[in-house]
Amino acid sequence: MSKTHFDREHHVKKATDVGDPQCFKGEAGPAKFKVGDRVRVRDLPSLFYSRTMVYTRGAECTIAELVYESPPAEDEAWDNCDNPEWFYSVIFHQKDLWPEYPEAYADDTLETELSERWLEAV
Amino acid sequence: MTPERKKVMQHINIGCQLQPALHVPQHAPFPDLIDNAHFRAYTRAVHDVGGEPDVPIQWEEKEEEVWEHNTFITCEVLAWRGVWNAEERRRRQNVDVGQTQYLGLSYYGRWLLTAARILVDKQYITNSELSDKMHEVKKRYE
Repeated sequence: MSKTHFDREHHVKKATDVGDPQCFKGEAGPAKFKVGDRVRVRDLPSLFYSRTMVYTRGAECTIAELVYESPPAEDEAWDNCDNPEWFYSVIFHQKDLWPEYPEAYADDTLETELSERWLEAV
Repeated sequence: MTPERKKVMQHINIGCQLQPALHVPQHAPFPDLIDNAHFRAYTRAVHDVGGEPDVPIQWEEKEEEVWEHNTFITCEVLAWRGVWNAEERRRRQNVDVGQTQYLGLSYYGRWLLTAARILVDKQYITNSELSDKMHEVKKRYE
């Protein structure tokens, strides 16, 4: 259902003197994962918009840090801030992402941020 | 043919070169010719190119031009005034433009196009006002 009245100052009212994503602190509820957890990136449909890179879908990674709470990009891209969730910094092994990654560099990693809806426990 | 019509014909000819192709040309296929994999490919967010096979391109450093700075500032001001947020701007600049414009226009070209688009989409200006203004400004340089 569309909102009857859209307040285009809703974000500035919330974030002024606080900052973004600090203004969403405490709104996501308890975090589902903790540092060190092994998780897999869900291959959810991403019709219209997503920032969860296709090359990470279905790959396993480790939670490195709980970084902040914020609306997922898929909602924020329509200026919807109703459902903030936890964002995690996650670490992949490069060879888990690229099938032809040379064995000689097996320790190489890639770190990026993903929101909670994209992660499931392994 | 008038110079204006020549321009129109040129536009039509360039437009038809921008057909998406899967090595064989695709044009308005019947629904049963699109399997799930191709539906996903066609409807993907086109900015999500990390990992897609492609040929190497040469890295070139380029200083920003005045119109590019002005475009950047215009887009930031639109954010400060609550017209959009950074994620909505990215969605419109990088995905909503479609693959042809995403790959075919310059970086700040997409920013500028999208700044105009958001103002029309959210009814701060009308499309006809934009059209009249563009025409008026164009005339100054003729």
